[in-house]
Amino acid sequence: MGMRKKRMTWLILKYILLSVVSFFTLLPMIWMVSTSLEPDKGLESYSLIPKEITFSNYPEAWNYPRLYDEDVTLGTMFKNSIIVSSVITLLSLLFDSMAGYALARKNFPGRTLMFWLALSTLMVPFYVVVIPMYIITMKLGLLNTLTGLIIPFVSSGFGVFLFRQAFISIPLELEEAARIDGAGDFYIYWKIMLPLIKPTIATMAIFKILWSWNMFFWPLLVIQDYSKMPINLGLTMFRGQFVTRWGLLTAGMVIATIPIIVMFLVLQKWFIRGLTAGALKG
Amino acid sequence: MKKRMKKKLKDTIISYLFCFPAYSVFAVFIFIPIVWAFVLSFTDYSLLTFGESKFVGFDNYIRLFKDPVFLKSLLNTLYYSVLYVPATLIIGFLFALMLNDDFPGRNFFRLAMFIPVIISMVVASIVWMLILSAHPTSLANRFLALFGIPPQGWLSDPKLAMISVAVVMVWKTFGYKMLLYLAAMQNIPQELYEAAEIDGATGWKKTMYITIPLLKPTTFFLLVTSVIDSFQIFTPIYIMTGGGPGYATTTIVNYLYQKGFQEFEMGYASAISYILFLILLVLTFIQKKGFGKEELY
Repeated sequence: MGMRKKRMTWLILKYILLSVVSFFTLLPMIWMVSTSLEPDKGLESYSLIPKEITFSNYPEAWNYPRLYDEDVTLGTMFKNSIIVSSVITLLSLLFDSMAGYALARKNFPGRTLMFWLALSTLMVPFYVVVIPMYIITMKLGLLNTLTGLIIPFVSSGFGVFLFRQAFISIPLELEEAARIDGAGDFYIYWKIMLPLIKPTIATMAIFKILWSWNMFFWPLLVIQDYSKMPINLGLTMFRGQFVTRWGLLTAGMVIATIPIIVMFLVLQKWFIRGLTAGALKG
Repeated sequence: MKKRMKKKLKDTIISYLFCFPAYSVFAVFIFIPIVWAFVLSFTDYSLLTFGESKFVGFDNYIRLFKDPVFLKSLLNTLYYSVLYVPATLIIGFLFALMLNDDFPGRNFFRLAMFIPVIISMVVASIVWMLILSAHPTSLANRFLALFGIPPQGWLSDPKLAMISVAVVMVWKTFGYKMLLYLAAMQNIPQELYEAAEIDGATGWKKTMYITIPLLKPTTFFLLVTSVIDSFQIFTPIYIMTGGGPGYATTTIVNYLYQKGFQEFEMGYASAISYILFLILLVLTFIQKKGFGKEELY
């Protein structure tokens, strides 16, 4: 009986501690949402629980700033982010899995070297290559374009490695049977192998979407025009202009965060996998 | 015989075609740049002179070690690392410990700690910048006011600024550390705990003598990767403090950005990037060595 009582006390203590910490962990997010729902009144007014709720910050932020070009708004930037994220994700899934398939299943001279080359890219920190990357992008005439934003990231050594591991674990018989029936390599890769590694595809897709939606340094270097900015870069540009209009700024931030949160709540299990897969990177 | 040769050749061509898209990106955006950055670090390449450059030998490296701002940025980065790494690991571990066993509401708490991990660094930095504003009505200062403490310049006081940045980053990342610890805890055989219970071990002892030792590889992995990450901090500092006040929060990458992309001294900035590369290589080497050892026993 005493044991049980002790356990109950511990459980209650744990609940209290966890609740307090969770509250503080979520506080910045809660504050962001509640500020975005408050009418703009200047610096004095922002409390945790809004006294008066308005949704007008949202349409206003969505249609901001129309500075140099009447048509360029936060909505444009949201659209840019969707384009950049989807193209990076789709192309890198395709390219990484193609290379992963060849490394796992084909026997060709130079295969070991190719494998080590893919692994060696993991040792190269982004900030070490960023200056020549910028110069190359400039010489290709891709500065200030969405293509320039996308192209360096449409494949990764990490992805090639992950797909190779996935393909290696599939039994050879499946492939051989298809080969006897006269199937070519691309058919086997596309119709037989890819459907068998759906979990890896999903894991990698989430990892890539999250990463490309949230990327910041490269867009900061490459993009100058508001009309081509992804939303996260756009928000930092707005920061200066609406520093006293927190309602508008926080509404913009909520808009930039909603796709990620919704995806997370729907695909929780895959999210966790995608993020722990990143740990293999080291 | 001839047919087999032909098939082999065809196979090789097909294999390289499969590799071609991924590897051409690696070539253009990783392999050429890593060599080029090294070459640039020995030149005075600058975009302001339209890319005209000459070889300057070790001048950039010599200049770096006499550059007080660069030396400050090294120290700042180290200071940040010391503030951030132990805190994020310990907090991540403690919450993994608390959220490991099954009880109602566990998933909600896990979710709550995980939200900061997935939101963008930009959004997190702007929110915290507003919360930590020096204005007396900012959330942080109103919280202090509850205890009668006067408002602080969280991001504008040189003594406080880096600590504030570290706190924000711990908030942003401890959920990820927790997640990896939780995954590792799943792999500890339950029998070990049961055997310990028969021997009369309490919860505290079980943690000390079973959980912590068995999580050593995870801790080591997280330790090295966190140090590596901490040496590359940029975004929160760029957004929240801009490296200031003065140079109080300028880190290696912030200085690289300033030199390379604001002052366009790309030769000099390349030298900074290679010093960073050297530091990170040493850290990666330590990690690989440490991991080899773990696997042995």
